[in-house]
Amino acid sequence: MSFNVMIVDDSNSMRAVIKKIITISGFQMDKCLEAGNGRQAMELLTGNWVDVIVSDINMPEVNGLELLDQLSKNDMLKEIPVIMITTEGSDERMKEAFARGAKGFIKKPFLPEEIKKVLYQVIGVGQDGQYEEDARSSDELDF
Amino acid sequence: MDNTKKTQEVLMNSIFEVFEKMFFVFLEPFDEDIRYDMIVSIGFSGPSQGSIRAYLSKPIASIMVENMLGLDPAEVTDKSMEDCAKESLNMIAGNFLNKLEPKKVYDLSIPAYEKKSGTFPKDSEAALKLIFDSDGQRMAVAMTIDAKK
Repeated sequence: MSFNVMIVDDSNSMRAVIKKIITISGFQMDKCLEAGNGRQAMELLTGNWVDVIVSDINMPEVNGLELLDQLSKNDMLKEIPVIMITTEGSDERMKEAFARGAKGFIKKPFLPEEIKKVLYQVIGVGQDGQYEEDARSSDELDF
Repeated sequence: MDNTKKTQEVLMNSIFEVFEKMFFVFLEPFDEDIRYDMIVSIGFSGPSQGSIRAYLSKPIASIMVENMLGLDPAEVTDKSMEDCAKESLNMIAGNFLNKLEPKKVYDLSIPAYEKKSGTFPKDSEAALKLIFDSDGQRMAVAMTIDAKK
């Protein structure tokens, strides 16, 4: 099973680095969509389905927290898990992001393993690409 | 943000962390005037407000892009150097404020870039200034804090 990922960050370099890390981590990524801010992300989401969004907070036009608000108001998109990946890592900012619907939080600067770990946690799959529940079921069947 | 020595130490550690983790560049404090080719700046507001500016030479900006994106020197463009320089200061500012006052919330502005050459003097009048060297490539970071209203 592979997943469509959207990366939202106003820095081209940061989007490229995140994409590269996800690719080399072995995460089963199918399509990777990129947006420079929350407005562009919402536009792309009108014609594309993604399984997880990785978003910065501090961006022009529509920032990451505003993107969370827009997603939560949309019945089609509100279930998409969002991981915030940001320099703004205070406890209060993190609480605010979770209260507005974020499912994961990574502080910049980050190590590649952190992205991989949170991505797997949020999307609910194990390192082998199987859903955690599926993995448990097959374990139980293994006499 | 009154204790200048502590503030300076936290800022320096944040710069080291960002450059080592994201750009694989190892900096050492330096005590001379340096030449720069670009300036990036970012504002912060919250319990205190002010701005942080980074003065980078073209060679160090190029190395940052090469290391971050795994590119050859010939593939580095002015645009990619601008982007990396802005993102580095964004990370430095966020990391610094979070380390200094983790329970307080600060807002950061969108980083601004200026292609401008000059000399950053070691006796700059900035409230807080740090100059670095990495294998002969130089950069400086200066912070100003606005007077309390």
